[in-house]
Amino acid sequence: MRQTKYMMSDGLAFSEEKDMEKLRRLSLKGWHVCDFKFMGYILEKGESSDYIYNLDYRSLEEGEEEEYFDLFLSSGWSHVASEAGIHLFRAEPGTKSIYSDLDTTAEKYKSSSDPMIKMAISLFFITALLWGGAIMSSGVLHSILFTAAVIFSVLVAIIAWTAIAQYSNKWKTEGKHRLASLGKMTLPLLLLIAVIIMFFVIETGYAIRILASMIIGGIALPIIIRGIISLHHIISKKTEENKR
Amino acid sequence: MKKSEHLTDSMFYIMAALTKPRHGYAIMSLIEETTGGIISIGPASMYTIIKKLLTQEWIYLHDGSDSRRKTYLLTENGREVLAEDVKLRKQMIQLAETGLKEVEE
Repeated sequence: MRQTKYMMSDGLAFSEEKDMEKLRRLSLKGWHVCDFKFMGYILEKGESSDYIYNLDYRSLEEGEEEEYFDLFLSSGWSHVASEAGIHLFRAEPGTKSIYSDLDTTAEKYKSSSDPMIKMAISLFFITALLWGGAIMSSGVLHSILFTAAVIFSVLVAIIAWTAIAQYSNKWKTEGKHRLASLGKMTLPLLLLIAVIIMFFVIETGYAIRILASMIIGGIALPIIIRGIISLHHIISKKTEENKR
Repeated sequence: MKKSEHLTDSMFYIMAALTKPRHGYAIMSLIEETTGGIISIGPASMYTIIKKLLTQEWIYLHDGSDSRRKTYLLTENGREVLAEDVKLRKQMIQLAETGLKEVEE
């Protein structure tokens, strides 16, 4: 019987290397990654073997996949899974890394970050509109807009943070260590500024309410998502077993 | 286009292998063979650079009939860029060689 389990990623922009190390250790224990699943990986039970893993970010157009994957296969890297422009490869230990120079490694992080930055900017404008609407409206409409605005704010912050983290990876590759650590600090700094502005511009009670909803949202959302995925995975496995 | 734009080492090796039509893996093998395995290009770096050279129009798709192994060749422009870079690299080699000789004497 096919035995699978789910492993959550800590966010590739923040822990790509750690994730790849973890996948290697799990392969040694006989759990081999076979697919991506929302914010994580699906592992399949098999025989224990030593595999190393590498990731590439690239949006491939139609007709480009064959050449791309053949190039990797010829170099000893077999394709495991792809999702949303992220490609996971596996090889025997000792196989040379998929990136051989710093220039192209830096480009890898840049190309994964650019679409996220575009998304963050457009979402930022929507968020600003929602806040504007929430402040000017009242009653039920106000509650709806307020809730939407909070959710979108958290979303923009997460995407922007991820994009900046990828840029920090790029800077680190290029040897700009100070810029890289600054990049990783951006979000906490921005949050601090946002909180200060909130307390000065709007009344304190209102600001505390916004802040509290953001903190609760920020903590609860990942926990809920994690819970739902594990639950979904267990249920779909059960139904699969029942079918047999 | 800036002709004086400096090529990275990897770009230089790949362009040097594309004076004749070759596919990606053939380029990688040729570079490894030539340097006795000391220099090797990873597949992700290879793919990134091929795409870059195509947009710069320094190489072009020579034969795309085998979708797994498309072959590429330098354009006229690419040949000029490569020749310029060879000149630059020769100057640096000369500097090193004369310097080494002076010490020996």
